[in-house]
Amino acid sequence: MKNKNITYAILAALLAGAPLYSCTDLDEQVYSEVLGSSYQPTEKDLPAIVAPVYSSLRSLMLGWQGYFDLQEEAADAIITPVRPNGWDDGGTYRRMHQHTWTALQWQPENAWRQAFASITTVNRVLSQIEDGDLPLTNGKDATIAELRAVRAFAYYLLLDNHGNVPIVTDFKDVTLPKQSKRKEVYDFVVKELTESLPNLSENAATTYGQMNKWGAKTLLAKIYLNAQVYTGTPEWAKAIQEADDVIKSGKYVLDANYSDVFTWTNFNSKEIIFAIPYDEIYGTGNQIHMKTLDPLSRSVYPMNAGPWGGNCAVPQFIDTYDAADTRLADTWIMGPQKSAATGAVVITYNKAVPGMDKTASSDGFRIGKYKIKPNATGSLDNDFPFLRYADVLMIKAEALLRTGKAAEAAELVTQVRQRAFKANPEKAKVTAADLAKGSRYNYGYQATDGTITERQGGDDIQFGRFLDELGWEFAAEAHRRQDLIRFGAYETKKWFNHRPQTAQRSLFPIPQNEIDKNPNLKQNLGY
Amino acid sequence: MKRPLSRLIRELHRFCLLAAAVACFLTENALALAADRQISGKVVSAEDKNPLPGVTIIVKGKNTVGTATDTDGKFKLEVPEGATLILSYIGYVSQELAVGNQSEFNVELAPDQKQLQEVVVIGYGTQKKGDITSSVASIKREDFVQGTVRDAAQLVQGKVAGLRITTPSGSPTSNTQINLRGINSIEGTANPLILIDGIPGGLNTVAPEDIESVDVLKDGSAAAIYGTRATGGVILITTRKNRGTSRSTIEYSNYVNIQTIARRPELLTGDDYRQKIKEGIAYTDYGGNTDWLSEIMQKPVSHNHNLTFFGGNTTTNLTGSINYRNWEGIFLRSGQNRFTGRADLNHAMFNNKLKTNLQIINRITRSNGAVSPALDDAAYGYAYRQAIIRNPTDRVRTDDGKWQERDGYFYENPVSLLNESNYESSFKEMRMAGSLDYAPIDDLNFKLLVSNVQNSNLEGGSTTFNHTATRLSNQNATAFRNTYANNENLLEFTGNYSKAIGKHRFSLLGGYSWQDATYEAFAANNWDFPTDAYDWNNLGAGGALQKGQAGMSSTKNKWQLAGFFGRLTYSLSDKYLFMASVRREGSSRFGVNNRWGTFPAASIGWRISKENFMGSLGAASDIKLRAGIGVTGTIANNPYMSQISYNFDREEGAFIGGKWVPGFVPARNFNPDLRWEKKEEYNAGVDFGFMKNRINGSIDFYSRKVKDLLYNFPVPVPPYLTGSMFINAGVMQNKGVEVLLNIVPIQTGDFQWNTGFTYSTNRNKLVSLSNEQFQAANDFFDAGYTGEPIQVSTHRVKVGEPIGRFFVWKSVGVDDKGAWLIENKDGEVIPIADATPEDRQYYGNGIPKHIVGWNNNIRYKQFDLAVNMRGAFGFNILNFQSMFYNNPRNKAYNMLKTAYDPIDGKVLNTDLVYVSHYIEKGDYWKVDNVTLGYTLPANTIKGIKNARIFVSGLNLATITGYTGIDPEGVIFTGFSPGNDYRDKYPTTRTFTAGLSVTF
Repeated sequence: MKNKNITYAILAALLAGAPLYSCTDLDEQVYSEVLGSSYQPTEKDLPAIVAPVYSSLRSLMLGWQGYFDLQEEAADAIITPVRPNGWDDGGTYRRMHQHTWTALQWQPENAWRQAFASITTVNRVLSQIEDGDLPLTNGKDATIAELRAVRAFAYYLLLDNHGNVPIVTDFKDVTLPKQSKRKEVYDFVVKELTESLPNLSENAATTYGQMNKWGAKTLLAKIYLNAQVYTGTPEWAKAIQEADDVIKSGKYVLDANYSDVFTWTNFNSKEIIFAIPYDEIYGTGNQIHMKTLDPLSRSVYPMNAGPWGGNCAVPQFIDTYDAADTRLADTWIMGPQKSAATGAVVITYNKAVPGMDKTASSDGFRIGKYKIKPNATGSLDNDFPFLRYADVLMIKAEALLRTGKAAEAAELVTQVRQRAFKANPEKAKVTAADLAKGSRYNYGYQATDGTITERQGGDDIQFGRFLDELGWEFAAEAHRRQDLIRFGAYETKKWFNHRPQTAQRSLFPIPQNEIDKNPNLKQNLGY
Repeated sequence: MKRPLSRLIRELHRFCLLAAAVACFLTENALALAADRQISGKVVSAEDKNPLPGVTIIVKGKNTVGTATDTDGKFKLEVPEGATLILSYIGYVSQELAVGNQSEFNVELAPDQKQLQEVVVIGYGTQKKGDITSSVASIKREDFVQGTVRDAAQLVQGKVAGLRITTPSGSPTSNTQINLRGINSIEGTANPLILIDGIPGGLNTVAPEDIESVDVLKDGSAAAIYGTRATGGVILITTRKNRGTSRSTIEYSNYVNIQTIARRPELLTGDDYRQKIKEGIAYTDYGGNTDWLSEIMQKPVSHNHNLTFFGGNTTTNLTGSINYRNWEGIFLRSGQNRFTGRADLNHAMFNNKLKTNLQIINRITRSNGAVSPALDDAAYGYAYRQAIIRNPTDRVRTDDGKWQERDGYFYENPVSLLNESNYESSFKEMRMAGSLDYAPIDDLNFKLLVSNVQNSNLEGGSTTFNHTATRLSNQNATAFRNTYANNENLLEFTGNYSKAIGKHRFSLLGGYSWQDATYEAFAANNWDFPTDAYDWNNLGAGGALQKGQAGMSSTKNKWQLAGFFGRLTYSLSDKYLFMASVRREGSSRFGVNNRWGTFPAASIGWRISKENFMGSLGAASDIKLRAGIGVTGTIANNPYMSQISYNFDREEGAFIGGKWVPGFVPARNFNPDLRWEKKEEYNAGVDFGFMKNRINGSIDFYSRKVKDLLYNFPVPVPPYLTGSMFINAGVMQNKGVEVLLNIVPIQTGDFQWNTGFTYSTNRNKLVSLSNEQFQAANDFFDAGYTGEPIQVSTHRVKVGEPIGRFFVWKSVGVDDKGAWLIENKDGEVIPIADATPEDRQYYGNGIPKHIVGWNNNIRYKQFDLAVNMRGAFGFNILNFQSMFYNNPRNKAYNMLKTAYDPIDGKVLNTDLVYVSHYIEKGDYWKVDNVTLGYTLPANTIKGIKNARIFVSGLNLATITGYTGIDPEGVIFTGFSPGNDYRDKYPTTRTFTAGLSVTF
């Protein structure tokens, strides 16, 4: 009997342990994330909800092998040759330069991914607004317009680079998107921007870094300027119209000093219409200085980071500059570099670059447009001006030039040049006859000793002088590829170690990884 | 050499004092129990009548009174009146002998059908080896690898067919890497579940010296009882316990070892530089001759001490152990010390009906040194890289005693790196477990096991003003402090009923298991300190915090796992065996739609040797055929995978409305359908023993298929939020054969030779990477990374193909300019400058096809010799050392002497590049562990039951064509197996001397 009691007691004790644990309760407790089901955003969260729409533009623009490299390394002004410490990176920079990239090339894929990241975020937020998940009492229309304009901006990048991309606006549609023709993408972007305009903010001061009415109009002007490339039909008049709207608004002016547009405090610029803001703490990712400077340049500014030593100017491009053009020194780091502490010369950057796979660490002028503040980290404070007032003027000028109004165009070009020739105001002046000339660029293949073989020159480029003007004004601003295409030089000219490819190269390939993920996508012509 | 020697002497001195003290204590005890009658006798084998030396003879109930037979099998012993002797000898059945009035004994010990009687630990219980119907390997203490043993896995290295155990890093803090039957998961863990006395833990939870047996559940039918955690197999570690007969014993053992690098890379010296300069090569000569590798290395002396105590009687007993280990690494200022203490208390009452066990394991692991020793930090590896590439004509310090630094791209004085930074971490773990085992009736028992494991880690690191971080980035001293804590609870309730009715024996097990674990972490860093004297102990003093450049993070997560399980075993006439089990298990880590999974298993065995038709063959041997099938699962590694959740992320922030705001972003693509990976495994095998088990072993064939493979599937954006998504898509297959063969070729009184042979081969195939929803054309993914400045992936995993294949430009030669010629996708030879990524092709595989182990134990009189050898064949290694340092292009960096050796008659003149030339054959045969021991004859020292000294060499010799450091010192798990990274902590050769004493 006693034994039995013990039995029960022990069994009870054994079983008593079990209920201490909640048996089968397997609901996951979430501590370090915000659960969608339990979080109700309010209006104060709106900036945070909109932010990711823009944040992907940072890595898109100046990220590792990003859009900047895509536009510049494919063109005739900037190269990333192999440095003595390696940096061949499987030949990726050589392929950019020689247009021998394939559908596996990372730079176009990176641009694709980041652009669609922005597009998807816009679609998601728009869908949340539609569903009432985001309670917007006032400014709903303005927010929707801004989001659509950012999406149009991302689509503009795709239109320009990949051309035939899927247009997706419905976040809830989870079927694999269908591909659209470049013309359809063009129409979509124009429609979205045009429809957004009435509700976009006209206040330039409070919308820095965001899409406002003037940013949308400048973007439209830029798209119309390239309409012939995109659709086969030029839209010069529309380009002039949109540019005029921005000019007439009086919201923007040319900064007095060219370098003010690019310095580390350039958020104060009155010229910038749409910038991708960077910050060494809050918005990291401007690594232009890290990629271009040799490690020895560290002590010059001085910097709190050791740069990697990579890209530099194509010597032929440097040769096009007028020696009196202060933009040369404002854009490129040249000659002896002195230590801030000792004054000793630590490295001397020379113009000459023997070849893509044969350089010394000091070969080539470096990108110095984005001024490096003392004690800069690996990430610069300088914002990247994507659209600025000089763009508006030059877009209008080019459209005028191409519609037979060379004299008016020359006036605008002169206006843009004036701050670059302060010491030689006469040299700033450009005439209609000047703009009719060819390009000064000594196109041809460069031998290792610097001589130009297989010389083509630039005389045969229509309005080549205007192309040169674009080159000087917008060097290292991710402009060059688009301009070369519009002027017909991109697929015909030789420069440095580049020879034209026989197949189409003005559009980048649809990334193979994206085709693999979405069988609806067909590869672009030439790949 | 001066410092290590003196330390060795100091250590030995310390040990002698300790040993003497213990000896004194015990001698006194032994004297107090002095007996009153002398007996003598001889022990022979019943089989061949040969004398048996070394047979342990103790007086029952008085463990301290005992002896062992000499080389002629003879013994003498003083015993108390009415004593009973217990004679025991490995491989023979123990025998009890009442002394009575007799004083002369002739005893025959019968050979043990050990393999069959031996108890094997299986999930939630034990089973006699003869009854096992699945693939289970069991290694007992006496068969463990000896000498310097890194962790529990190394104890059984090369002894379990199909369980590959290697040491990929020479860091004193690193574990072995283990893998069972191939790679079975992409995103989940491929590591086996490790249970220490039934409670989840790791290879280092207890000291190797404290382990009684290691059992490995290899196939699905054995492991399925552990459900979702068991796809990588289950390793059951049983700690030493004071089992059965009462005994009071103290054991002390220690060892001291020294290490050297396994193979030293031969670099250009200062004189070589000067010679090259004479030949017109543009090196810089600073005039000196520095051996940078020697400058960053030390001659490490490591030691290990273990004290184990057994005490008590048949109802209440205890086991206590203390282990202290201090290991140094071959790099300057690298090392770890570890303390592990364990107490195990058992009490039985009510006629053994109620048994309780309490176990406490406490361990503290401290790493002190220059930088974090974590494998993935590769911080020592970076210093190693700098030592390799640094100009050998340069000096360590300038004339005024400062570090000689030079400008250059990733070019830092390696000696300063190791001297101007500090690191410390301490890991503390407390494991408490208690169990109640109650048997209300004879054949039925219930068991409740409850445990709590808490561990925490605190680490700190800093750099000084003289560190390159200040020189290069004006960081003015940096510091960080990281900590994490785990709290894990386990409750298991099992009931077990077993009964034998006539020819029928069966057992029935049922149980419930609950496990939850909470993880919390915090990290902070700062820099720009006014002084570098604080290390990490005054983090707030740094100026980077005010500038917004200090970092801080914290996280917390928790998971729960609940399971119900049952098992039935049945045996008919000990001839026909059957086992079936099922586990129903749910995890919080999976989507609400698929939280629970069912994991069944069944296996059968047929002891064919018991059949009459086997005749006399059957009598002398034991042959068992068995087959089984089982389903196990794999759990996702990360928490929150199925949640629809968001984060405020500064990285995703933007400049909105005139100020910087964080971004509110979805944490991932939402997938509430996330579910278990399920592995189905078929296993068929045969266990055999011939000539009374002098030849025994097993052969296993298995085929495992993992379905619903978790994969971070690339998805298009849009419609998805991010470019990849966790999806159950994919099927992986592994098939293989495992052979184990143990032979005792020679067995005489004085001389015994045991030899064991293991062989395994595995064929892996990724069958598919899609499911009904996701049918992407992208049937591969890339893995592995060369690192800067080559910056390409190294491997490609493709559907229909095995894991581990390199994907590379195939080099076929070198052209006149010294540039690689490669084979393009059309099979044409082209210069590498014209190669595109499309020209890459598959080349070799980093996973060995054949893995062989051969272990020998030889005992001659008092000497024992163990020789363990291992090999792996049919695989390739990507030799990063060669890829980065066998290229003379960059004169700013030093390189291997062989860099100037012509390839195809031409010296390389090309940038660093990943081509197939650097993928070498990895085949090797390694004489890994040779241990020579000497056991003192019994009673040489009064009061000491057993004393043994040994010397041992680890990683002694490797026969291989591989030109890197160590073909086995390479990571072979994951998706880039065979990458012998340049920044690794090189593996070492170890020489050990040690002793063990039992009182």
